[in-house]
Amino acid sequence: MSLDRKMQWIAQGFLFVRGHTVVHRLDPRVRLITSLSLFSVALLSHSVEELSIIIAIVLTIAGIAKIIKRFAKSMLFTAVIALIAFALNLFFYPTSPHQAVVFGVRLFAVISSTSLFFLTSTPDELEHVMKWMRLPADFVMVFVIAVRFVPVLLLDALQIMDAQRSRGLEFDKGNIFQRMKNVIPVMVPLIAVALNRSLDLAEAMDSRAYGAAKKPTSLYHLALRRSDYAMLGIVLLGVVIGVYVSLYLILF
Amino acid sequence: METVSIEESYDQIVSFENVDYSHPNGTIALRNISFQLKPGELLAILGSNGAGKTTLVRHINGLLKATHGTVKVFGKDAKLSTAAKLSRKVGIVFQNPNNQLFEQSVKKEIQFALRNFGFMEALIEERTNWALKTFSLAEYADRPPMELSGGEKKRLCVALVLAWDPEILILDEPTVGQDSEQKENLVQIVKLLLSQKKTVILVTHDIEFVWPLQPRVILMSNGEIVADGECQETLSNESLMSKGSVLPPQLVEFSRLMGWSLPFPASTFEAKSLIEKATTRTRM
Amino acid sequence: MIQVSNLSFSYYGSERAVLNKINISVKKGEIVLIVGHSGSGKSTLLRAINGLIPHQHGGEYSGEVIVDGMKVSESSMSNLATKVGYIFQNPENQIFMFSVERDIAFGLENLGVAQEEMRERVDWALELLQIKHLALRAPHELSDGQKQRVAIAGVIAMKPKILILDEPTSLLDPFTAKTLVELVKNLRSTLGITVLIVEHRLDLVAKICDRIVVMDKGGIVLSGSPKEVLSDPNVSVHGVTEPTIVKLAKSLSLGGSNIPVDPEELRDSLGQIRTNRVS
Repeated sequence: MSLDRKMQWIAQGFLFVRGHTVVHRLDPRVRLITSLSLFSVALLSHSVEELSIIIAIVLTIAGIAKIIKRFAKSMLFTAVIALIAFALNLFFYPTSPHQAVVFGVRLFAVISSTSLFFLTSTPDELEHVMKWMRLPADFVMVFVIAVRFVPVLLLDALQIMDAQRSRGLEFDKGNIFQRMKNVIPVMVPLIAVALNRSLDLAEAMDSRAYGAAKKPTSLYHLALRRSDYAMLGIVLLGVVIGVYVSLYLILF
Repeated sequence: METVSIEESYDQIVSFENVDYSHPNGTIALRNISFQLKPGELLAILGSNGAGKTTLVRHINGLLKATHGTVKVFGKDAKLSTAAKLSRKVGIVFQNPNNQLFEQSVKKEIQFALRNFGFMEALIEERTNWALKTFSLAEYADRPPMELSGGEKKRLCVALVLAWDPEILILDEPTVGQDSEQKENLVQIVKLLLSQKKTVILVTHDIEFVWPLQPRVILMSNGEIVADGECQETLSNESLMSKGSVLPPQLVEFSRLMGWSLPFPASTFEAKSLIEKATTRTRM
Repeated sequence: MIQVSNLSFSYYGSERAVLNKINISVKKGEIVLIVGHSGSGKSTLLRAINGLIPHQHGGEYSGEVIVDGMKVSESSMSNLATKVGYIFQNPENQIFMFSVERDIAFGLENLGVAQEEMRERVDWALELLQIKHLALRAPHELSDGQKQRVAIAGVIAMKPKILILDEPTSLLDPFTAKTLVELVKNLRSTLGITVLIVEHRLDLVAKICDRIVVMDKGGIVLSGSPKEVLSDPNVSVHGVTEPTIVKLAKSLSLGGSNIPVDPEELRDSLGQIRTNRVS
């Protein structure tokens, strides 16, 4: 039962809710640049203080975006990874404890600044950003289809598990070999269902002229507003300060 | 393998008492469902998509557990057992065969559940052969289920459930994609099961399939039971039918137009006799 | 509008001909219902008209299909998509985008339609299918009936001359199905499109279509007005489920080729018989 609930939770995660804060209303490209800037400054940094400031900035933005709860869940995971990185560094590399700490904190800063972007952007916006980055159209379509259908396939998997339970299959019983065997009655129908869905999709896409024009147009388009320019200005300032401080600390 | 002992006394094979069910994401799917089924009854559950029909029957074999209220099957609380165990006595034939078929041969597909339920080897052989024969699948015994046509796959799904001889059989949309001959077969199978004192529950939209069977009818709408009663009274009640978003059978519409009173003819044969009687009377 | 001549087809790797020298022509604005049991070739015929055969599904193809003056085998899928719209059976697998209006715009984006015109067409399609209130919803928030409407809107926005519906109601309940079928009929009246529909529930569609075509084993076995076809004594042999009233009328030997197809018509023809007998 708990496996089911976990899967349903993941499926819901893909079907997120659009936010309405200042952060969400920024152009997604600006958000991307903000995240990338925080990411790069963190990467260059060697001081725990500077990194802490960066993490504080990330958390502040997350707070404004009202995503602290969701952020906290993934941050817990990241913190564990950072701790493991710290421990590995300490025990297996000829570094000082201070450097190991910097490594761990840097990892945390880098991961959290990137997830800031993904947690505040809708798949629609991600799609537009990818098109703006001139990624190939087919690649972008793969992303769109994946986000659209992964939750659907997860729900299919749950249905299949129910159907096999109704034939006497107990998923929670048996040793490791039995449990591995139990994957087959779920995997085979799931793959069949997934294949069927993709064949249907291919037909539907072709029937609606996918790939017709070399330059497809778009219903929505991204446009920068004053708030976006303001944010870009702040980010630029931040990057300059951050890089300057890092270089200063490295050289001196 | 724990089995439910049938010697325990219960006069209600299935009982729902004030059952509520909410999905994990919070949406309420069932509200205050209460009804009882006697062994050997034939029940049709009708209602539009999303009314909660499938959600309801999934409680009977333990796939879902009620958030409030009690579901009792064979006199015992369904919460105390698992779906796999309850399924030995409560068979559900699901709507989509593609969600279940995975074995390398039709024969193995039928044997899968029998093995899970702990049948002895000799009995497995016997039940498999019976299922293959009864459902005209013997020629496909060693072929992969994937090679069968849609209609044949559905037949296989019914066959594999009946192979383990459950006391209660639930059919979820059994007539979708079936032609008239196969629907006739289904009617015969339902009648055969009833003659063996099995309890049969039909979840369906196919009102023309339901009407000649004259089952007990439960009408659902928005997670609630809107009507629960005899086929004749329920399916001829216009306001109840529109509440449940169900279209009446053609024979009911016709009987109303002819100004006949209950009971309405259940088959074209009965309707024909009524019409001929009426026309002979006019002549005289 | 549609001219199919001597069309035969078998899929790659299969020896069996799914379509066997099919000949059929459809006039502009007709609503044609195609029925027959599974394996009779109905869906294959539909796909041969919108170009999925031969462009997406290869195989042995002989004969000719001409749609609005264009030869299907020689036109690209994108060109054909502007003439023929195809609605599939499964509502889930034909909505790709994250919001309803974006999905409706999908075809138009692919065709490179200018943004302003696209906006107009999307709004027009939303209005026509009465789903304006769903414009910004995500697909998982829609019911199956709503999904089918979105699919139809997405196809109609491309302004096709022909609309093909391949078992559009099989996953819907009869109430929703009836509404959808009536919607299709209204589209024909409003837009003058030609409609081809494959459907098992004859009682829903028989009254709105102009012609019924019965297929069996890759060929056309019956073709004519609904009454002509339904009154044929062999129609159920070909896997067609007769509406109960038709069965009843036949058992009473009523109507000949003017067979009653719904309860009202049956009542009326019985009424006539009684009056005839009295006098």
